[in-house]
Amino acid sequence: MSLLQVKSLGKIYQTKLGMRQVVALKNVSFEVIEGEFVAIMGASGSGKTTLLNILASLDKPTTGDVLLDGKSFASIPDRELSEFRRRHLGFVFQDFNLLDTFSLKDNILLPLVLMQTPVREMEERIMPVARQLGIVHLLNKYPFEVSGGEKQRAAIARAVITDPRILLADEPTGALDSKASASLLGQFEDLHSIGKTILMVTHSAMAASYASRVLFISDGALFSQLYRGEENNRAFFDRIVANLSILGGGDVA
Amino acid sequence: MRKLFYFRLALSNVRRNKLTYVPYLVATAVMSGVFLLIAGLLFSKGLTNTPSGATAQALFGFGLVVFALFTFCFMLYINNFLIKRRKKEFGLYGILGLDKRHVGRILIWENLFVVGGGVACGIAIALVFGRLLFLLLMKLIHAVPGSEFSIPPVAYLLMLGLFLLIFLVTSVTNVVRVHTANPIALLSSEKRGEKNQKGLFPLALLGAALLAGAYYFAWTTEVPGIALGIFFPLAIVVILATYLLFLCGSIVVLKMLRMKKSLYYQPDHFVTISGMFHRMRQNSRGLATICILSTMLVVTVSGTLSLYLGREEMTRGMYPYDVQVYAPKDATTQQIVAYDAALNRLAAENNVTLTSDRGKLITSLPEGEEFGRNNLVYEDSEFVETPSLIFFDHSYRFDVQGTNEDALAFIQAIRDHYGDSFSETPNLIASDIFTTRVQGYALYGGLLFLGAFFAVLFLAVAVLILYFKQVSEGYEDKERFNILQQVGMDDYQVKRTINSQVLWVFFLPLAATALHMLFASKIMARMLKSFMLYDWGLVLLCIGGTLLAFAILYFGIYRVTAKTYYRIVHR
Repeated sequence: MSLLQVKSLGKIYQTKLGMRQVVALKNVSFEVIEGEFVAIMGASGSGKTTLLNILASLDKPTTGDVLLDGKSFASIPDRELSEFRRRHLGFVFQDFNLLDTFSLKDNILLPLVLMQTPVREMEERIMPVARQLGIVHLLNKYPFEVSGGEKQRAAIARAVITDPRILLADEPTGALDSKASASLLGQFEDLHSIGKTILMVTHSAMAASYASRVLFISDGALFSQLYRGEENNRAFFDRIVANLSILGGGDVA
Repeated sequence: MRKLFYFRLALSNVRRNKLTYVPYLVATAVMSGVFLLIAGLLFSKGLTNTPSGATAQALFGFGLVVFALFTFCFMLYINNFLIKRRKKEFGLYGILGLDKRHVGRILIWENLFVVGGGVACGIAIALVFGRLLFLLLMKLIHAVPGSEFSIPPVAYLLMLGLFLLIFLVTSVTNVVRVHTANPIALLSSEKRGEKNQKGLFPLALLGAALLAGAYYFAWTTEVPGIALGIFFPLAIVVILATYLLFLCGSIVVLKMLRMKKSLYYQPDHFVTISGMFHRMRQNSRGLATICILSTMLVVTVSGTLSLYLGREEMTRGMYPYDVQVYAPKDATTQQIVAYDAALNRLAAENNVTLTSDRGKLITSLPEGEEFGRNNLVYEDSEFVETPSLIFFDHSYRFDVQGTNEDALAFIQAIRDHYGDSFSETPNLIASDIFTTRVQGYALYGGLLFLGAFFAVLFLAVAVLILYFKQVSEGYEDKERFNILQQVGMDDYQVKRTINSQVLWVFFLPLAATALHMLFASKIMARMLKSFMLYDWGLVLLCIGGTLLAFAILYFGIYRVTAKTYYRIVHR
């Protein structure tokens, strides 16, 4: 059964005075099965960030709906939306979005604290996550004291500590160098291998080649998709690049 | 052409940084305007011609010097405060290839616009309010405005001199600041992190100990003379302690709260405590300064207000009998009896009557007082029986019934005709309530006036710091606000935690001010005793009233600056 169902999403932005309309998404439909690692690729302005914001319940679609475990986003009242987000969705952002007033540990614990988890349980839950992401020794440091790659790992830890149904990542390697990117994508792969569902938006074919499926989006509409099948990263990467050249956009790096 | 380029760049900078430059300009205007007014009143002919003008003028001369010192320090402080915030911009200029020399030139132009503009506005303020304030002052010191008020040229010269000096010093500081920093350091200076400072705990402890000591002495010093002597040293200790407690104490307390996990890891406390941590790191100095300024304001206004409102009681305290006329030490009984008649004759000539009520005599001072009153009889006091007036210890004591003018004329007549009755003239012929009253109006009215001027100065600086703090925090919190929402904190929760942080930071200085004033009230009352003001109730009332008025004003300022803050946070 599919975990996430996206049903003919459309999003139209209106300029302030309502003079001009910008169509960001039109009739986008797809499904994500539990345990899948899906990448969404597209050039800048293709609508992929809009799509992710809607999937993250941070934005509302003009038409269509999103269902998580069969529950429609549109049916959730605004008041409960942030709680829903907290419980079921995990986020990783391009620019990390760690709070500079908290140590990495407190940043990671933030969602648990908001859920009023007992201190004992919090301490129990943070260690396995930190160990898996290799940041145990950094927990007491502040964001400004660690590198970009380490920040992003802390952000991933924050996203997965609540054990969300789906992990949403927006250009997670966008602010990292190639080495840190590769290491981070390795972390995603590991998470995938232990059964996490991941949905990642990226414009990098390299990043996308770690996924099990790649959706291509162009001008706000779904263009095509590729399944990895039994291929290794390298072969899948080549296919993605080939597909991108048809699409006429995206980055090889 | 090149010159025009820097000029234009500076002009556009000022325009772009409206949010910081407009308040700066307003503050400059207020300070220069008030300075010009004080100088104007000091040198105005209108004041010289009034009977009590000399007293008021001496006071204003002193006030002007102190005011100039304060203005100078505050302007430097504000300038530093602002220039620090723009380091990033300077770094960018450097990277874009602008020479440090050129950046310096731009800064000088900017400074010129702001200080020049401020001074121009200040002159306008002084011109508009000068006449009004002059009339108010005349009323306060009970003088009839004789001549037209106009600000004499020398006042303009003094003001322009002071602000030229301020302009030069701030310009040099800014240029030096740009020159001594390298672009990379300038660029990254804003993102300085929260280094784990060491040695905060002993410093916080020291602050607490200093404050406790100062409070103890303020509360227990009973002798007015000593109170007067230790007030300023104590004030300096309190200032030091306030800075230590705000800078180190706050961090220590928050650290301790953070250690207490069951408390810290609560949704409400979690964000608030760490947010406060960040805020105190950034703003504790500003907050301490606000606290000090507020305390100075309340002390100045309540002190001068107590003196002004208590002036009648003070003079009456010194003169239970309206007049005391001294006879030479070696005067014979006959002379004393004869002069009694002479005094009554002079009184009749000046349309006043003299009474001498023995019922007013006392043999010991009321509880807590220690200065002489002219109705005090000692055990060894020598009385001489005279027909109408009380005479003991070489002087007559009596009350005068009649109008104020007649009474003053009568006193003058005593002085003029003293030689008719006695061959020898003592140093002091007569001391009287009427002359003292006139001098009191000038002294205490002038003091109150100066107090109000200083209050305006303190308030202007405090508001400015508060405003800049809110604006800079607004920009920082905007980012934090977004992140918290993305992580799953709802809008309502975010608003509530931010609200509570803003409130805490805002009202901490006010609470500290109130505490300072509580302990200051006692030593102030003691000090005022040296001015013969024994009415502790009145002093407390003045302090309480001033504090309340200030709190209301402060809250009003909070509302306005908070609005700016929320506008920034919500875009």
